[in-house]
Amino acid sequence: MSTATVTVPGQVPSPKTDLSVAVEPQPRSQLDEESRAWLRDLRSDGGERDEAIARLHALLLRAARFECARRGPALPHLRGNDLDDVANQAADDALVSVLGRLDDFRGASRFTTWVYKFALLEAAVKLRKRSWQGREVPLEPDTWNLFTSAGIAPDDEAEQSELLSTLQQAIAHVLTPHQRSVLVALALNGVPIDVLAERLSTTRGALYKTLHDARRKLRAHLQEQGLSVDALLGEET
Amino acid sequence: MERPELEHALGRLLGPAEPEVGCDVCFQELDRYVELELAGKDADAAIPGLRAHLNGCPACREEHESLYALVRGERAR
Repeated sequence: MSTATVTVPGQVPSPKTDLSVAVEPQPRSQLDEESRAWLRDLRSDGGERDEAIARLHALLLRAARFECARRGPALPHLRGNDLDDVANQAADDALVSVLGRLDDFRGASRFTTWVYKFALLEAAVKLRKRSWQGREVPLEPDTWNLFTSAGIAPDDEAEQSELLSTLQQAIAHVLTPHQRSVLVALALNGVPIDVLAERLSTTRGALYKTLHDARRKLRAHLQEQGLSVDALLGEET
Repeated sequence: MERPELEHALGRLLGPAEPEVGCDVCFQELDRYVELELAGKDADAAIPGLRAHLNGCPACREEHESLYALVRGERAR
């Protein structure tokens, strides 16, 4: 089996974040019979445990193949063998993650639902990385061409033009260089967050925190300028 | 706004207006959220900030869509 190559969110302590909407930790729930059986078998010894691990791997492989089948059509350069390879690696790595985190299972869902998310994450991350293999990740924004390259251009409505112009200035002058690079890569150039995390040797959680901070700064700046983002985006205030 | 592509692009740029959880909490709570959704319960009230995060994070959104589809498909069999 290959070694785990994906940082499962939550595995590495994240930087302090103001993203933390309070989500009450769930007390351990009464486990359903099937979940109890899974935990019992996986914590047993010898042949019973080996058999449970084999069943778990089969479950994870099914989930990983499901993800590959969903995303594969959008990745025409990956052939059937490549997708199967991704699915197998994802199942292997998910198995390592699940076995290492059995004590984290709180019974808030069925055991099978809980383990599926590990396989789906591993497969999705691997597919994103494969689809960007060998491609340059644009990090240095040419701010004057930002919006046109992303298909955003002001039309003849004065309010939209003013908003886009102010936004462009804010990206250039209000954000830190790191926030600007991350925002441009993720939100304008469509670089997958896992690909950028790998290139910058960081985690998805840390990058999303940077993106979140950049977005908050832009919103605050637009508000200071008296521009109503909510009205233009059709958001409720 | 009558330009959906512009609205979409600005949404990507500015993210959700509402408070949101981060990627770590999203992953931690995703299985519970999906099961609440499939049970017809108010998943957004039970796990505040997760829906906003899914709106702001394409990677977590894809993984939510996949988990929802996989579990729903299994239960329909």
